[in-house]
Amino acid sequence: MAIIETHQLTKVFPGDIRAVDGIDFEIKEGEIFAFLGPNGAGKTTTIKMLNTLILPTSGSAMVTGLDVVKNAAEVRKRIGYVAQDVGVDEHATGKENLTLYGHFYRLDGKTIKERVKEIFDLVGLSGDENRMVSTYSGGMRKRLDLAMGLIHQPQVIFMDEPTTGLDPQTRASIWEYIRNLVKSKGMTIFLTTHYMEEADRLADRIAIIDLGKIIAMGTADELKKSIGGDVVTVTPCEDKDEACKEFIRRSEALLTGKPFVTGMKPTDGELAVYVNDGASAIPSIMQLLSGQGIEVKTITMSRPSLDDVFLKYTGKTIRAQEGTRTSFAQLMRMRDRRQR
Amino acid sequence: MNIISDTWYITMRDLRSRIRMPVFIFMTLFQPILWLVLFTQIFKSLGGLPGLGSSSYLQFFAPGVLVMTVLFGSAFSGFGMLWDMDTGVLSKMLATPVTRISVIAGRVIATVVVLLIQALIIIILALILGVHFETGVPGVLFAFLLLSLLGLGFAAFSNGLALLLKRQENVMAVTNLLTMPLMFLSSLMMPAALLPGWLNTVRQINPIDYAVVGARDLISNGYIWHDLWLCFVVLAALAVVGVTFGTLMFRARAE
Repeated sequence: MAIIETHQLTKVFPGDIRAVDGIDFEIKEGEIFAFLGPNGAGKTTTIKMLNTLILPTSGSAMVTGLDVVKNAAEVRKRIGYVAQDVGVDEHATGKENLTLYGHFYRLDGKTIKERVKEIFDLVGLSGDENRMVSTYSGGMRKRLDLAMGLIHQPQVIFMDEPTTGLDPQTRASIWEYIRNLVKSKGMTIFLTTHYMEEADRLADRIAIIDLGKIIAMGTADELKKSIGGDVVTVTPCEDKDEACKEFIRRSEALLTGKPFVTGMKPTDGELAVYVNDGASAIPSIMQLLSGQGIEVKTITMSRPSLDDVFLKYTGKTIRAQEGTRTSFAQLMRMRDRRQR
Repeated sequence: MNIISDTWYITMRDLRSRIRMPVFIFMTLFQPILWLVLFTQIFKSLGGLPGLGSSSYLQFFAPGVLVMTVLFGSAFSGFGMLWDMDTGVLSKMLATPVTRISVIAGRVIATVVVLLIQALIIIILALILGVHFETGVPGVLFAFLLLSLLGLGFAAFSNGLALLLKRQENVMAVTNLLTMPLMFLSSLMMPAALLPGWLNTVRQINPIDYAVVGARDLISNGYIWHDLWLCFVVLAALAVVGVTFGTLMFRARAE
């Protein structure tokens, strides 16, 4: 059963800015679903329509079987919201912050007490309940923020860029809490992110969104498979100047139509070549290019990442801090091993 | 009733956070001292002036200090709302089932409560300094009613302004543009009889002047009902206008 469902959901802001442009998707109960896209793609606008903070211009959305416009008040009781900004009160303790939200969600005093204890355990803040939030670290605030969206045990929780601005270690721990939630409470999670790694590691399914439109949707594996076996990245120049553009254009022309190439995307100073088997394609690429006087400065091979998926569908990159690219030396060793 | 409990929780949240700011408590106590002790010293020689209508400048000016404190305290109430908007606290609250109107009502009520506490401190200090309260406790309570209406109107208006203009610089500019002339175009610092003719005319359409006249009557002159009645009506109208504006702006924000 779909717990979130949208039909041609659209938001147009004054000045004819189509922030969200007719999107359709369904999320199943208990799923972690990620909206992946660069800043300004329409991720936050989508979340704010689903959690009743803004009204759609057209189209419709159902959350837990209820229309977000017609049944806004009822929807609010069933969902939790963790915004990009940590909306916690500095001049209150963690417990006071959480208790206030317990009241907003119409929980009785006894239930609030129990939940506060339980949730502080869950997000690893036990022992810090009675400290002022102004003394909390960034990671602790984010965890409290998370807790405030959970106190009423919502069926769905919306998280807008849950780890933006946090250090890698804290980010990993937040992911752990999010996974625990799904496991222990069976919650459905809708999150937005511009971190490839976050979508890759956390989400059951991913929708890639750019300029207000969903351009691809599926599991991380499905998305990666959709662009073929390996990505070979060729850098024919050191400076990103006109000559470089010319080299890349010529390289692309040379490789076009070659049987081992399944696709190509030129970017700033690089050419991404999608191939079925990178290790065997590299010598052919090197040979072809150097035969035409194009000196390859570096050549690397990687498994397709979501970055490549994004590049293929949008023609742009969201540079991810992923360390999956393999150096040329490693590549040669891999080939040797394969041949043996 | 959710509207009452939600308003209560938000009022308490606001009051709690103010109490925890040492600078805030200091300013609350320090400002009245500054006006009542220092400012009245500067104008001490006006004490014997015919037309002042009071035995001393302190006696004349003390009701003005009450009005000024309430005016400035309430006119800057919207900055708390701006802070909540900037930090994401407001969005987060509005995504919960909280009664919409409680979010602004709680903040406005908290502002008025704080201002009345400040007014009480001023009155105690004035008593110590020798100000005579003509109508006693009932009159002071009546003055509190007038001051509450003034505070309610301006606090709600200021919150509405914050929601409308969204940026701190703009809200600050408009607030200053509004409060300073309102204070000067009244009989707050100088009795009406001594004001130039044009100013005496202008002050009669200034709601602040009605708060000043009302408070001054109750503290220094006694129950002058034809004055007090008009003051009450004007300030009640101000409160209605302010609350309506604040509510409309909040509705627009919360869609």
